[in-house]
Amino acid sequence: MAEKLLEIKNLKQYFNQGKPNEVRAVDDISFDIYKGETLGLVGESGCGKSTTGRTIIRLYDATDGQVIYDGINVHDKKSKNDLKTFNRKMQMIFQDPYASLNPRMKVLDIIAEGLDIHGLVKNSKERKERVVELLETVGLNREHADRYAHEFSGGQRQRLGIARALAVNPEFIIADEPISALDVSIQAQVVNLLKELQEEKGLTYLFIAHDLSMVKYISDRIGVMYFGKLVELAPAEDLYNNPMHPYTQSLLSAIPLPDPNYERTRVRKSYDPASHNYQDGEEIAMREVTPGHFVYCSEKEFATLQAISN
Amino acid sequence: MEKILEVNDLELSFHTFAGEVKAIRGVNFDLKKGETLAIVGESGSGKSVTTKAIMRLLPESSSEFKNGQILFNGKDLTKLSDKEMQKIRGKDISMIFQDPMTSLNPTMTIGNQIMEPILKHQKVSKTEARKVAVDLLRLVGMPKPEARIKQYPHQFSGGQRQRIVIAIALACNPQILIADEPTTALDVTIQAQILELMKDLQKKIDTSIIFITHDLGVVANVADRVAVMYGGKIVEIGTVDEIFYNPQHPYTWGLLSSMPSLDTAEAKLYAIPGTPPDLLYPPKGDAFALRSDYALKIDLEEAPPFFKVSDTHSAATWLLHPDAPEVEPPLAIVERMKKFPGSRYYEGTEGGTY
Repeated sequence: MAEKLLEIKNLKQYFNQGKPNEVRAVDDISFDIYKGETLGLVGESGCGKSTTGRTIIRLYDATDGQVIYDGINVHDKKSKNDLKTFNRKMQMIFQDPYASLNPRMKVLDIIAEGLDIHGLVKNSKERKERVVELLETVGLNREHADRYAHEFSGGQRQRLGIARALAVNPEFIIADEPISALDVSIQAQVVNLLKELQEEKGLTYLFIAHDLSMVKYISDRIGVMYFGKLVELAPAEDLYNNPMHPYTQSLLSAIPLPDPNYERTRVRKSYDPASHNYQDGEEIAMREVTPGHFVYCSEKEFATLQAISN
Repeated sequence: MEKILEVNDLELSFHTFAGEVKAIRGVNFDLKKGETLAIVGESGSGKSVTTKAIMRLLPESSSEFKNGQILFNGKDLTKLSDKEMQKIRGKDISMIFQDPMTSLNPTMTIGNQIMEPILKHQKVSKTEARKVAVDLLRLVGMPKPEARIKQYPHQFSGGQRQRIVIAIALACNPQILIADEPTTALDVTIQAQILELMKDLQKKIDTSIIFITHDLGVVANVADRVAVMYGGKIVEIGTVDEIFYNPQHPYTWGLLSSMPSLDTAEAKLYAIPGTPPDLLYPPKGDAFALRSDYALKIDLEEAPPFFKVSDTHSAATWLLHPDAPEVEPPLAIVERMKKFPGSRYYEGTEGGTY
């Protein structure tokens, strides 16, 4: 896992900029995504994790900062053609499988929309064949192509969303809470499908979610966001075993697990941002405490954390 | 312990354009005083419909009680008139809904909304009711209740709104509190606070809680007993330890194994194949048989009765029949069973915790 696919540098997304109700949804965050990995992004609602995903794929224009994909800044001025080639490489799966499929279109046309835009098929026969192939990849079949979205269950719809994202052979997929709207037994089906596809096609994922146990299961590395800032970034296993930022600790201590004995003894930590006691002029930044484990902290905290982990 | 609610052989159908949907197909359970019973299951399993039937909140034009009783303190709730039911609803039995964003009236101050059930069910003056409302808000952990009582729902956050909904539900000291996915719309940190609050309040006012959720982590946290529903029926019921450490029904196995645990790194997550049954055409036999790796021939022909595992634990699966072949549960379940004295995989090393 060496090659960087995506570099996010000082990304900022402010809404209502300059007005009294300015919202700093994403406030100066930087991280890399490596080829073939799954990076999980977690945090409470409103912490900016979805905005981060949407800004990366340029659904929003960034206020400041860069998203460098394969050496090219996504947010630079681009001609229509350049944008098109870029859009082929990066695709998105949305949270709500009920709202993200057009109810007036047949599945065939929903999935083939990307194929048409990018001119990937020559005639209608080839178009149909490609769609059927995609349906089969996600565990549906030929007959489903002529139906409408309302004829499918939530899990099946999310499969359609995945098939649509795969249609243009992307390298990188942003999955914005793809399983939150699904039942537990169906969640596992969709997560397994995403994992299989990753192995088969060498995909890279940015997996945004608030269900921390599922995120840990699917991700190689996990970033934790709090109020527009990335506060901790570490390999999945490491983050769960050794959370360093107090917010991460509080978040992890709040997850209920399906184990009554554990639940009887679980102690919840709460997080108070004032507990840091940052002084004026202190530089607070992402610092690498142990290899690959970054924490948003001050110089002083950094020294303490390093002392503890060595 | 004293039984406060008994549901016997409840069957309920909805009449739709497509035909009769048999949403509840014979449900039996009871609720004891002061306990928390969790009902778990997928969407469409009938868990919400069961509780709405208890509250008589289902549309009368399209739903129909086919059979059975809901006995609350000896009274059959299915037979009561609307007027009699109104006296119980909000007073003896109250409900917390899933979405705190939509279950409050946006045009009423929260004070008036909390006072509403008090004024309706108790003979008190407005000033007294307001005092009770302030106390209730303080009880659910709202800072500065005297000032906030004059505010409107949009001035509160999601977690605070759920606290207000809980305050309304508790206004008349109900004997039964039904919580329908009360934390599903909330963040984990807020969820943890609300769960702590509910447990704390239960101790204080000694109410019984029916807790509906699909999150097994939450169940492990709050429940004394657990009922697992599937396809309009309860398939397994027992104490929280029995369900989590000695489950018997293949559906319960599937549910428990499809949740990743935080400490193990399985290569592949167990996923229950297929989708839940269509209750327009409920399957013959065990509704879960078509999705189960453990289905026996008889599962497709005849619905299994409840087999007793212990005094508090029973499950509706033919696997418990004396003639059934012995099967090996999924690995994750065997791991769980090792912790439970009385299960056949028990490794009696760390005794004394039960």
